[in-house]
Amino acid sequence: MKESLVNFKGINGNIYINIKGGEFQQIIEELDKKLGETIEFFKGANILGIKCEELPEEEIEKIADFIKSKYQLNLLEILEAEDKRDKKTFSGIHEGMTKFINATVRSGQVIEYGGNIVIIGDVNPGALIKARGNIVVLGSLKGVAHAGIDGNNDAIVAAYDLQPMQLRIGSVISRKPDENVVISGMPEIARVSNGEVIIEPYLPRK
Amino acid sequence: MGIGKSIVITSGKGGVGKTTTTANIGTGLAMLGYKVVVVDTDIGLRNLDVVMGLENRIVYDIVDVVEGNCRLKQGLIKDKRYESLYLLPAAQTKDKTAVSPEQMVELVSKLREDFDYIIIDSPAGIEQGFKNSIAGADEAYIVTTPEISAVRDADRVIGILEANGINEPKLIINRIRHEMVKRGDMMNVDDIVDILAIDLLGIIPDDESIVISTNKGEPVVAEEKPLAAKAYRNICNRIVGKEVELLNLETNEGKLSKIIKLLFNK
Repeated sequence: MKESLVNFKGINGNIYINIKGGEFQQIIEELDKKLGETIEFFKGANILGIKCEELPEEEIEKIADFIKSKYQLNLLEILEAEDKRDKKTFSGIHEGMTKFINATVRSGQVIEYGGNIVIIGDVNPGALIKARGNIVVLGSLKGVAHAGIDGNNDAIVAAYDLQPMQLRIGSVISRKPDENVVISGMPEIARVSNGEVIIEPYLPRK
Repeated sequence: MGIGKSIVITSGKGGVGKTTTTANIGTGLAMLGYKVVVVDTDIGLRNLDVVMGLENRIVYDIVDVVEGNCRLKQGLIKDKRYESLYLLPAAQTKDKTAVSPEQMVELVSKLREDFDYIIIDSPAGIEQGFKNSIAGADEAYIVTTPEISAVRDADRVIGILEANGINEPKLIINRIRHEMVKRGDMMNVDDIVDILAIDLLGIIPDDESIVISTNKGEPVVAEEKPLAAKAYRNICNRIVGKEVELLNLETNEGKLSKIIKLLFNK
């Protein structure tokens, strides 16, 4: 099956339109076709927002206008919807979109994502991981990790082998001590407590 | 206001010891009581922070400073041992084009207001990164090793420096192995000075203690005993205008070690 450019997602009874990159005209055509087929189903629902990373803002606005005028769907403000969604998703540490990296992240590489990041591999010294949500490394974390980049101090960083050069969680920065530290040899989790980053094993009863 | 002298440490060839030399001269001058900043211009392949053991303190870097993402003071990292020594680290996640020669000139002129010595660590090669590193420099120190390839590159770099108005660079010969020179298997100091025809600032013996101290992130110059540390201290004294005799590498083979060698028939 050909991968479609336009997808619909339901969130709490509302609809979210997810658009993959492509030609503007193609997207309009596909949207028109899909909505035409299923308009009965969508009646009365709110369109929460349109998510599209690759189109410029004015084209997204055009798409929004098109949906409003042709199908009389209720469209919440695009940007507003985006904000609401973000706050909801990343106020805690329990859910959110997640990016998986199945590789070693090496010196000089930056992984940045507006959700959680899971690295299946190592993060070497000199690499930088920045996530709005949590960071989980199934390997050694020896580079710099910044979880909760937009100020979420509830975010966590967990790693199978946690020896980061620097840990930043929300607005708190901590660094590796200068003297050699004993390596715990077990998976650990870092979070902010009383304005400081604390590290503890996440398998305490083993 | 301080002396405000900017010095670029460069070589052309990679792996001859530019970064080690920068860290040791910077630390050595700070030990003499001067206010020093070492600047890493090797954007994308930074090392100076690692050699100085300050990698874990980096929040902002040289690109953040020139782009105005942070104030200059925020970008400067204070050394862990010497109060008057600071590091301006390179960015690791950008490339050399992130900084222009004009921005370097402006940066160095700001640093001049606060520091006695600005020691700039240059990347290998003669491309953009190198051009950035020499842009704000008053003087240049050329690091070379007693190998024909390193000397050839040093010669090329001296020519480029002169073309850019940095005249009379000074020479540092690194990693000399006295016993090899004595056997005639290694170029000696006079050979190299003859070819390059510039003033010799100092010679540094090949010394295991350099590897140890580099891995520890503590420049060797602060240690009492190693000959290489003494060599770097001599260089620093010459920089600040003292007359110091060239290190006699013969003393490397002290009487005691000779006796030990005889005893164990090594």
